[in-house]
Amino acid sequence: MFFKKKAQHKEDQSPVTIERLKHLTSNIEDAIFVEHETKSSKTVTLIYIKTIIDEARLNEAIIEPLLRCEKKPINKCITNAKVSDISTVDETEYKLMTGCIILHDSANNQWYSVRMDNPEGRGIETSETETILYGSKDSLTEKIDDNILLIRRRLPLSTLKTESFNLGSQTKTKVVMLYIEGLTNPQLISIAREKILSIDFDQFLDSSQVAAFMEDHIHTVFPQFQQTDRPDVCSQSLGMGKITILVNNTPFALNAPISFFHLFQSPEDYINRWVPASFLRSLRYISFLLSITLIPLYVALTTHHYQMVPIQILFVLVESRGKLPFAPFWEGVLMLTVLEIITEASLRMPTKSSQTLGIIGGIIIGQAAVQAGFVSQVLIVLVGVSAIASFLVPNYSITKANSLLQLIFLILADVLGMIGIVFGLVILLAHLNGLTSLKQPYFAPIAPFYWKDWLDLFIRAPLQWMKVRPESLHPLQKWRYRKGR
Amino acid sequence: MNVLTEFSLFDKTSTLDGVYVTFMVNRLQMLYLLLIMPIYLVQPYMIWAILAVGVLSHFNLMILSKWFASDYSVKGYQGFSQLLGRPLLRFLAFLGLPLLLLKISILVLGYSEIVHQFVFPAVDRNWMLLFLMVVSIYMAAQGMEKTIRFIVIAFFCTIWMIVLYYSFFTYPIASLSDLYPLIPENSSDFFWKGILLIWSSLSGPEFLIFLAPWLGKNEKIPKYLSIGNAITVIEYLLLFVATQFFFGADLLRQAKFPMIEMIRYLQLPVFERIDIILIALYMFHFLFTIAIFLIYFYGGLRIIFQKRDEPINRLSFFLACLFIYVSLVLLNEWLWEEEQNVLVDFHIWAGAVSYILVPSFLVAMTKIKERTKGGTF
Repeated sequence: MFFKKKAQHKEDQSPVTIERLKHLTSNIEDAIFVEHETKSSKTVTLIYIKTIIDEARLNEAIIEPLLRCEKKPINKCITNAKVSDISTVDETEYKLMTGCIILHDSANNQWYSVRMDNPEGRGIETSETETILYGSKDSLTEKIDDNILLIRRRLPLSTLKTESFNLGSQTKTKVVMLYIEGLTNPQLISIAREKILSIDFDQFLDSSQVAAFMEDHIHTVFPQFQQTDRPDVCSQSLGMGKITILVNNTPFALNAPISFFHLFQSPEDYINRWVPASFLRSLRYISFLLSITLIPLYVALTTHHYQMVPIQILFVLVESRGKLPFAPFWEGVLMLTVLEIITEASLRMPTKSSQTLGIIGGIIIGQAAVQAGFVSQVLIVLVGVSAIASFLVPNYSITKANSLLQLIFLILADVLGMIGIVFGLVILLAHLNGLTSLKQPYFAPIAPFYWKDWLDLFIRAPLQWMKVRPESLHPLQKWRYRKGR
Repeated sequence: MNVLTEFSLFDKTSTLDGVYVTFMVNRLQMLYLLLIMPIYLVQPYMIWAILAVGVLSHFNLMILSKWFASDYSVKGYQGFSQLLGRPLLRFLAFLGLPLLLLKISILVLGYSEIVHQFVFPAVDRNWMLLFLMVVSIYMAAQGMEKTIRFIVIAFFCTIWMIVLYYSFFTYPIASLSDLYPLIPENSSDFFWKGILLIWSSLSGPEFLIFLAPWLGKNEKIPKYLSIGNAITVIEYLLLFVATQFFFGADLLRQAKFPMIEMIRYLQLPVFERIDIILIALYMFHFLFTIAIFLIYFYGGLRIIFQKRDEPINRLSFFLACLFIYVSLVLLNEWLWEEEQNVLVDFHIWAGAVSYILVPSFLVAMTKIKERTKGGTF
């Protein structure tokens, strides 16, 4: 940080009292303090925030049993909910604000809490960000317990461990780290745990914010965590020896460590037959390369290397560019900027309007720009191809990084032509080679070189061949099948 | 959270596999063929010379592998200082730095000349030197371990180019008679200089001695060294025979960069001249080597100035790189045009001598040290 860290929040470990709670909840209109008398004339005070608890269950699970309660301590009277002892102000405040009912037995000055949060929320729906034709349709939701359920259904293992943390001095966001004990490398687990424990910030409203604090390299456009809302992807990652991090109130889980190549893998790769799956995966790599180099290549050829273009294509280029007022570089920059504006606008607009916007942007502006003589027809074709190619990569973070990479390559192509493009590629690959995800090399299994992992790299080999888990993850259990059975 | 991450060039987090040795041996041995091959390597009978020197190189690598098997190698600087003593080590570092500078100069200036001649005749070469150095420095600044790992990328981005030379074997003008005479008529100076050139071109693996801490003690190192050397010899033979088929011995002598001249004749349906792409792609190979040599150079300076125990800082590393860049510009301005052949000749001799001496010297010193140790017990 540029500024010096100052501790702004001190934990209050003093014993809880009704007065302290009243002070804490002053000016909170939905904070309720209500007293009930048990059958044995004990007074029990219930304190809760009305809007975040399940009021229907409150009556059934707490109030009715309390009213019937005779000689037993009140925590024994409540049988169909888990009752926990609490003592400090800080603990009570946290429980109160996260959907618990606070119970105070005034006769014995005992404090209890019962979790009763409001179950309202989105149900389990189909993933909209990682759509597939075949395969499971359920996706993660904002409710962390549901997400754990979806993963546990797929991995019914007692070795699937969950470690819980609370992050954010304001949001108190529940974060759960999942891993398979005895399979995931313990070093990875301890790195992830240390990173989570070292986080100190006020708000965590999305898993990407947690990822931002856990990343090894902050000055890069490449994500070091795989964000997914698919429970099958999480389960597969866990089964390979990775760690999954779930963040409450966000439907996107984080999987790590990842490599650059994980960003090109789609869940459908493991559902399709291996030959088409391999073909499609290779196509994604080619598309990524095309999306960042196609327009720079056009700029390099038309600015520096006319001699590389076959004569027939050269005629087309010359005719297309003959009357243009801009140099190829500015032509490219102009079109890329317009494309980015259209893409960004269509994302922000309602679905129906965005379709119209696409038509206006793609057809009308493109056609008009050519007719007005601002850009060449060849460039319009290349911009279209590169834009579509960029969306072939399943990970949207990479798609967003594409435009920036394209711009850098464009500048290099304008300055040094083909040499500039290769300079860009060297820098890009050296940069990727230098990155790490949870301290593991980001460019594995190429650098470092793990040749066995290449079966699931540019192609997706038949599942029968992929008998070992990725070497780059250093799993404790190497084999994916039980030997001798 | 630190805004600037800690700068560490010589950190080691894991031991690298033997396959890196193969890749590095091969790519280091393929460096100078592209730049300096045609000076003496023109007669068809040099095929035998390539084979014979390849075999000799294999034996030399076996000597080198003995160094890798010694306890001193994996200790890095400590190992060298235990073996040679600090004063001698400083003296050797003092001798090694000009050699490194010469190697970097030939690489950078040679490559920038190719770019200047075939791609950008109008661009000032000093700009090209700057771009090459900036990218190499970026790569080197990531540290030795990550730079070594980059060899895999450099290897796979360049090795496939050999396949393109296949078409020269099937050209209508290619005839077996281009490979005659296969036996030299007399042993001229030219022949011996050719042998020297091949030996010098095959040099480079001796620089792996400094990488032993990252490569670790591996029993299979001799195998990996041999495979790398064998791939190089095959590549040399294929390229040399292709040049014979395409140019013939007489014309080959006239060509300055025959490998590049040849690929100018290759074309694809979408690109009429793919030589520009291939020349650009060779950069992977060159930049990787320059990056490794930059780290070596900086390490050497630290030994000479006895700063080995002080923490590494960015400024001193960048100053060392700046010194190399300034030297390159001066060489380019003053010597490269007029005295290029002298520099290349000097480089050929220096490469040949270092390749033969370094492994033998280290192994001999190890034996002497072990014997002395044995005597004291």
